[in-house]
Amino acid sequence: MAEQKTVRFIIERQDGPDAKPYTQEFDVPYRPGLNVVAALMEIQKNPVTVDGKKVAPVVWECNCLEKVCGACMMVINGKARQACCSLVDKLDQPIHLAPARTFPVIRDLLIDRSVMFESLKRIQGWVEVDGTWEVKDAPIQNPYTAQTAYEISHCMTCGCCLEACPNVGPQSDFIGPAPTVQAYLFNLHPLGKFDAPKRLNALMEKGGITSCGNSQNCVEVCPKKIKLTTYLAQLNRDVNKQALKNIFNH
Amino acid sequence: MAKKPEKKIIVVGGGLSGLMATLKICEAGSKVDLFSYCPVKRSHSLCAQGGINACMDTKGEHDSIYEHFDDTVYGGDFLADQLAVKGMVEAAPKLIKMFDRMGVPFTRTAEGVLDLRNFGGQKNKRTVFAGSTTGQQLLYALDEQVRRWEVKGGVKKYEFWEFIKIIRNKQGVCRGIVAQNMNSNEIVSFPADAVILATGGPGQVYGRCTASTICNGSAVSAVYQQGAELGNPEFLQIHPTAIPGTDKNRLMSEACRGEGGRIWVWRKNPETGEKERWYFLEDMYPAYGNLVPRDVASRAIYKVVVHMGLGMHNPNRVYLDLSHIPADYLERKLGGILEMYGDFMGEDPRKVPMEIFPSIHYSMGGIWVDRMHHTNIPGLLASGECDYQYHGANRLGANSLLSATYSGTVSGPEALRVACSSEAGDALTQEEMEKARKECVDEFDKIRNMNGSVNAHQLHHKLGDVMYKYVSVERDNNGLKQCMVELNEILKEWNDIGVTDHGTWANQEAMFVRQLRNMIIYAMAITKSALLRDESRGAHAKIVLDTDYPDMDPELKERIEKKVGKFHFDPETHRAMDEKGDLVFMERDDKKFMRTTIVSFNQETEQPEVSYREFEHSLIKPRLRNYAVAKKE
Amino acid sequence: MFHTTFYLRRLHSLVGLLILGGVIFEHIFTNSMAIGGAAALNGALAMMELIPHPIFLAIEVCAIAVPLLFHGIYGVYIALQAKNNPRQYGFCRNWQFALQRWTAWYLVVFLIWHIGYLRIFTKGITGTPISYELLHNLFTSSPITTVLYILGMFAAIFHFCNGITTFCMTWGIAKGPRVQKVIACLSTLLCIVMCLITLVFMGSYFVM
Repeated sequence: MAEQKTVRFIIERQDGPDAKPYTQEFDVPYRPGLNVVAALMEIQKNPVTVDGKKVAPVVWECNCLEKVCGACMMVINGKARQACCSLVDKLDQPIHLAPARTFPVIRDLLIDRSVMFESLKRIQGWVEVDGTWEVKDAPIQNPYTAQTAYEISHCMTCGCCLEACPNVGPQSDFIGPAPTVQAYLFNLHPLGKFDAPKRLNALMEKGGITSCGNSQNCVEVCPKKIKLTTYLAQLNRDVNKQALKNIFNH
Repeated sequence: MAKKPEKKIIVVGGGLSGLMATLKICEAGSKVDLFSYCPVKRSHSLCAQGGINACMDTKGEHDSIYEHFDDTVYGGDFLADQLAVKGMVEAAPKLIKMFDRMGVPFTRTAEGVLDLRNFGGQKNKRTVFAGSTTGQQLLYALDEQVRRWEVKGGVKKYEFWEFIKIIRNKQGVCRGIVAQNMNSNEIVSFPADAVILATGGPGQVYGRCTASTICNGSAVSAVYQQGAELGNPEFLQIHPTAIPGTDKNRLMSEACRGEGGRIWVWRKNPETGEKERWYFLEDMYPAYGNLVPRDVASRAIYKVVVHMGLGMHNPNRVYLDLSHIPADYLERKLGGILEMYGDFMGEDPRKVPMEIFPSIHYSMGGIWVDRMHHTNIPGLLASGECDYQYHGANRLGANSLLSATYSGTVSGPEALRVACSSEAGDALTQEEMEKARKECVDEFDKIRNMNGSVNAHQLHHKLGDVMYKYVSVERDNNGLKQCMVELNEILKEWNDIGVTDHGTWANQEAMFVRQLRNMIIYAMAITKSALLRDESRGAHAKIVLDTDYPDMDPELKERIEKKVGKFHFDPETHRAMDEKGDLVFMERDDKKFMRTTIVSFNQETEQPEVSYREFEHSLIKPRLRNYAVAKKE
Repeated sequence: MFHTTFYLRRLHSLVGLLILGGVIFEHIFTNSMAIGGAAALNGALAMMELIPHPIFLAIEVCAIAVPLLFHGIYGVYIALQAKNNPRQYGFCRNWQFALQRWTAWYLVVFLIWHIGYLRIFTKGITGTPISYELLHNLFTSSPITTVLYILGMFAAIFHFCNGITTFCMTWGIAKGPRVQKVIACLSTLLCIVMCLITLVFMGSYFVM
């Protein structure tokens, strides 16, 4: 029998938030359609390095494996992406895995992205409905606007854009493209737009949209192909108008 | 009006149901501690693709709430509590309006009102949808509203906390939970006035399924072991159209069929002998065609592939074809999932037919609850997929988002009512909480130090293989008996697990070992109740064996003979086969089994114990389910 | 609330494009006179001398010194907030983003030297007027100086032209990817033209 084809993974590991990172190498049996999460699952089943050392299985986060939950974002061969839809066939080998260090590392590939959810609070990412009770019919919406909203609403808070953005990280207070653009989503809604000035003002604060440096990495790496830069430009326009209103309407 | 006293409710699970319950409780002025494995925005509800059913009647089809009610009950093969279903379908249009106000970007018609699509098991357009990611959009809307309440101080989120078990007070009322921080591995007891479980389905019991890795049913199994009864756990929906994979089977929405997708295989035409595409669903079920319910479609695919050997290309695949539909239409209606197929399979479904096969998808069964979502444990409520309500023996597509949301609107206020009443009993004492915590700490320490020879993930794989082999699309009593034996062996093997990670920082391996035991025990409940239900109903299809046949009710025997004509028993498998070589299934037995299966856990033997309970089915008279002809009222 | 960061960032962008852009154009225009020889450049410099001295000084302070100091100092603060990663994410715009910051660092050093030596020391302290002869001497005596000056001009031109592109994004003028691309192409063209002019007038010192 021919020897089974394997795929080499070089994984950057770290035992805790303050521990020193180190790398370990694993060989995973190849099969067609293998993706990075499936490979990590194989390592769980047989956590032995190429040197034959039995180690603790690699720790990472994943849920849906369908590219909708956003949990399994990591740096694969230098680029931030979802591990579940990273097919081994389309990656250069050996495959390097590393945590997205824009965020605090908890362990191995597991990171703490709570800052993104905090940012969603900051931009008031919701429609101020009176309650879940029945009020009346919701307003009719322009189907084209609704389609734009649908596109932006695909954002799964995975953090790829934050990891790739040179202006996001411990050195800066920028909230990042994803939460910023979410503000636009709510400004589009016929009820949500009532609070548009609040959201635009929130974006004017420190770490808001002004921290965008137009490197446009976000739109390149977005796994949902959201036209982030277009909406950032639109928000820039809206924010400028809001600034003029702030100056002249008071 | 006097201000209601502020109460604290624990909600475990941050999917649609948990979030909906949370919102209702916050709106009533009380506080919620919300526990979840993951940031609630990543809960499994977001994997629902096709849509949410509600009678909006905006397509000139004279759709009615009654029709929705009837379709749901009929689709569920008359095993659903009809009063509960009635409440749900009546509330559906209101819930859609609520979601619309919250900003869910539903797909719209040219004049800006909500568009509707077809879905399996219903003849009218009734499914409201947001492209092909409806679940994601609905979940996000509730997530946003809960975040708003978080800012207002109504909700405290415990994300990356795993539920371990409930704590009951002296009167036996559930007044708190023990949970573990998944990063620091710290185990803490939390008191509350009532607890709602909304922890989703048990798909991971089958290993590879359409569910997320977090849908392991561990929480359900934990309360089952603490005395909660399960209802109808044998009914697991098999989704006919999933993309098989080794890490998971990815769902290909029923919306594909709803938007005109056709399922076919290659065959030799029986008359001319020429190679042709056989649209077998359209052939077998002329009235509904490709839109038959999921259990029917899954069995048909099984028949064509497994028994007729017509699976093409790969042994276990059939084609789901959208390539005849204009690409721009597909993009608008199904864009997201078509892209997903491309991502994972590397082919464009707009041009070539997709390769699909049935996979475990949804559990109709779960924790037994009454119509107000109380479990049999006072103070403990369950809602969403983890309860057994609404779907009977088979769930209609696009009813799950509805039942998840609706059950939250029931369980939330009801939990609060209980919390405010005398039913809640005494608060937990420090000793009670500490005792429960200590037990969990000891258990975790024991698991952490397990030094056997078995790898937990390999054992999980084995569990999935066993369950798929014996308890999936087609079941028979020999297989189910064998399955019980093998599950008991797996449970024994669990004791011989060895973990490589003995630490107490983000020790995912040890937490998984704990979940795995719960999964095995839940699998036994599924298998035992499947074994004892000697009929075919909805998703539960049982093959007649030579040992079963003699004891069968004469009336049922007659029905089988009328349906399939002459049949014989295969000497090797003992299964009944008709003259065409098709398997013969048992008939629905309303006399004996028009009852809810109740499974309770025997603490001593660690085995499931099955009994049956009556339920409300007086509104629509049971009739036989046949999708080959149009539904008759 | 007053959004200081927001107004500072917008002012930084506005100052960079309009005022400092004007300064670059003026420099290129005046210096390109060198192509016409000593008389042409000296003539152009003499034209500027026609502006009364206090007004000229006021212009220098208000239109060059203050904006430049603000743009430079605040720019350093902005540049410090970036972790440049073009090698990881080698997209065209990301390289431009990084170059914008690298050219900024070079310009900080270069301008201190340039202004310090020519404007403050030579013209201000020793009182020597700037003339063709002075520049000719400066460049032909040291090739290193020439190279550093050409690099300084290139850096300033790139920084300015890339600034046009980002200005259009920051102010929401160019929204979609297509118009952003067109503007990026146009400013690249402008960048090339300005760099060529610079090469020509710098070269002219060596030809004549």
